[in-house]
Amino acid sequence: MSSRRPHPAWAPWLFLAPFLLFFAAFGAWPLVRSFMLAFEQTFGPRTTVYVGTLNFRFLLHDPLFWAAVRNTAVFTIGTLVVQVPVALALALLLNRPDLRGRALFRLIFFSPTIVGSIFVGVIFSLLLEKRSGLVNTVLHAAFHSWNPDFPWVDGFVMPSLLIASLWLSVGFNMSYLLAALQNVPGDQLDAAAIDGANAWQRFRHVTLPAIQPVIGILVLLTVVGALQLFDLPFILYADSFGNGPNNAALSIVTYLYQTGFRSGDLGYASAIGWILTIILVLIALGYRWLTREEDAAA
Amino acid sequence: MKSFLAGVVRILSPGVSLVLALGLVSVLLIAFLPAHSADGDGLQVWVFDANQATLYRTLAPEWDRRHPTLPLRISQVVGPALQSRMLSGFYSGTPVADLIEIDRIQVAPVFAGPLQDVGFVDLTERLEKEGLMARVNRASFSPWTSRGHIFGLPHDVHPVMLVYRADLVEAAGIEVNRIETWDDYFRVMRPLRSASDSDGYIDRYPLALSLNNPFFSEIFLLQGGGGYFDGAGAPTLNSPVNARLLARLALWYGGPGREIGNFDMFSGAGLQLISNGYTLAILAPDWYAGSIVTSLPHLAGKLKVMPMPAWEHGGRRTSVNGGTMLGITKASRHPQEAWELAKYLYFSPVVAERLFATTHIVSPMIPNWTLACYDAPDPYFSRQPVGRLYLRQAPQVPLRPSSPYIGTAILMVNNALTRLIQIVESRHFTAPAQIEPEARQMLDQAQGLLLAEMHRNVFLNRPTP
Repeated sequence: MSSRRPHPAWAPWLFLAPFLLFFAAFGAWPLVRSFMLAFEQTFGPRTTVYVGTLNFRFLLHDPLFWAAVRNTAVFTIGTLVVQVPVALALALLLNRPDLRGRALFRLIFFSPTIVGSIFVGVIFSLLLEKRSGLVNTVLHAAFHSWNPDFPWVDGFVMPSLLIASLWLSVGFNMSYLLAALQNVPGDQLDAAAIDGANAWQRFRHVTLPAIQPVIGILVLLTVVGALQLFDLPFILYADSFGNGPNNAALSIVTYLYQTGFRSGDLGYASAIGWILTIILVLIALGYRWLTREEDAAA
Repeated sequence: MKSFLAGVVRILSPGVSLVLALGLVSVLLIAFLPAHSADGDGLQVWVFDANQATLYRTLAPEWDRRHPTLPLRISQVVGPALQSRMLSGFYSGTPVADLIEIDRIQVAPVFAGPLQDVGFVDLTERLEKEGLMARVNRASFSPWTSRGHIFGLPHDVHPVMLVYRADLVEAAGIEVNRIETWDDYFRVMRPLRSASDSDGYIDRYPLALSLNNPFFSEIFLLQGGGGYFDGAGAPTLNSPVNARLLARLALWYGGPGREIGNFDMFSGAGLQLISNGYTLAILAPDWYAGSIVTSLPHLAGKLKVMPMPAWEHGGRRTSVNGGTMLGITKASRHPQEAWELAKYLYFSPVVAERLFATTHIVSPMIPNWTLACYDAPDPYFSRQPVGRLYLRQAPQVPLRPSSPYIGTAILMVNNALTRLIQIVESRHFTAPAQIEPEARQMLDQAQGLLLAEMHRNVFLNRPTP
């Protein structure tokens, strides 16, 4: 048995130093700098003028910002209402032991996640084209009365974004829920069945409580992801710089990007970024508050 | 220090020590090695367009022969990336090319700050001293002029004409020479607007435009004498002429009198619709005529160009779309050579000829307008002298005063048009007079918003909201 001398007191700091240095350089300092920038007007980071709270005051009355907030909120709610239930339905379907070709279906549903949002944007801009797009072409062939010029992208901005986003992310959410479903105790389901519970009752009182923590995490991830909506509208509405017709596709992050990186006004972009941060923190706190009982039990 | 090092050696395994040592050496190397541009030495040029990059690369051997110590380095960087690299360079001093070729929307933010902070060299004096101001098409300078200073050489004129399906139009006995105004055009073409099957939906339109692409409305406003900014940079969104033109455009797009197909004709799918006859004509700046030739070779001999019909009798028969400049960056260590190269690439007859041959883009240099290539019959466009037809319109190309807010302004006006079309659809309006008051109201609103946005900018002369 060899005796070892205790490490010096600063040893942990040495090991932490790489992370701390990187975090300080690429995490903490940008945060501090962006907070300072939010009170400045800039032409790039070198030419700045202190403007006090002007950026935040302008933001309060900026119709484009509020249009972006409204669109982002609608997209977030829409995503939440559509994504999680569809993902759960698919997971329940694929969890059936009697389903043949389960592995293939899992691959099919999950594969769009690998494609990435930029490609999904490109694919859907082609699919939803008027006249020549696959969706309108097929619908017109199937139902002669279907307008081949049906304006998916022009006239139905949010549904178009939601459909594209659903195709992109539902497989990812489904895989989480499928994993959770496979961990639902079989004996409890059997016991419920023996006690006379029907399929809905077994789902409602056994399956759902068992997978609730995973649903909670998915809801949080979906909300945070939806609030950061950027690439899909940016590609689908590239001609209007991601704004879409009448700003119907403008999201908070798109507006932030346009302000900071197209107009060079990093100050105003920082103000937008901080408002988005506050919204995200509030949502995270709300989630923690809603799940406090589960956390305490754990 | 000695005890610290001893402590480090004691707590680290030999493997970790090696990794740490390699890491430290790498950091020191990166920190102290002299910085080189990612694109290598020589005269660096960044361009966004693949055709331009190819063209300039063919010219490089000649340049290199004359400048053996300063070889030409052409890099193609796609639009948004080019803008990001350029702005990073101007804002923060990261390496940028000696010359940057960029389009007018991407370059707009460069002019949003103090004049002395514009990252391009002011070319005004050189242009005047060398007599180039008088020899280059005047309208071509306007997008690169900020507060009276010119920061880029203009690459083009980009007059807009109509490219139409001559095979279909002439088969119907229509003589396009007799068309003078848009009203004439739609009236004459209306018999060809048809549903070819039994579904009741129109399968052929006299013209196709995209509401989603805000630059289409810009083409029409500029043609009709409207616009977005005056010469001093103040916004003019709510001018009476804009309201009048927007009201008429809204009636083209929607309601019972709908005249046009709403489709992005500057896209691959749009090109397909010209091919299958969904539209009889499209708006085509010279650069787009070149794209059509490349993308739709099977339509050779079936297409022709004609001047845009005017808004009113005797009105302007063209407009303008797109636009590219070449600017010398202030960071360039070879500004004189960059100036020489810029003039050669943009103003020499040799390059102008090659540019036209590969892209159909006509030169902004007025003495080049006599080049024989512009008069050559083009077999693709039914043997019309396409270059000459575009150049005939060049002197009428409207001015486009620059502004860092041009992208925002164009979007705002297009949004007003989108809302107007909704009104036309819902209230079944058929006459411009019915919708014009609404157009004025929406443009007043847009003007107010833009003025507020501009007023916030402490670096520019602030117009009063």
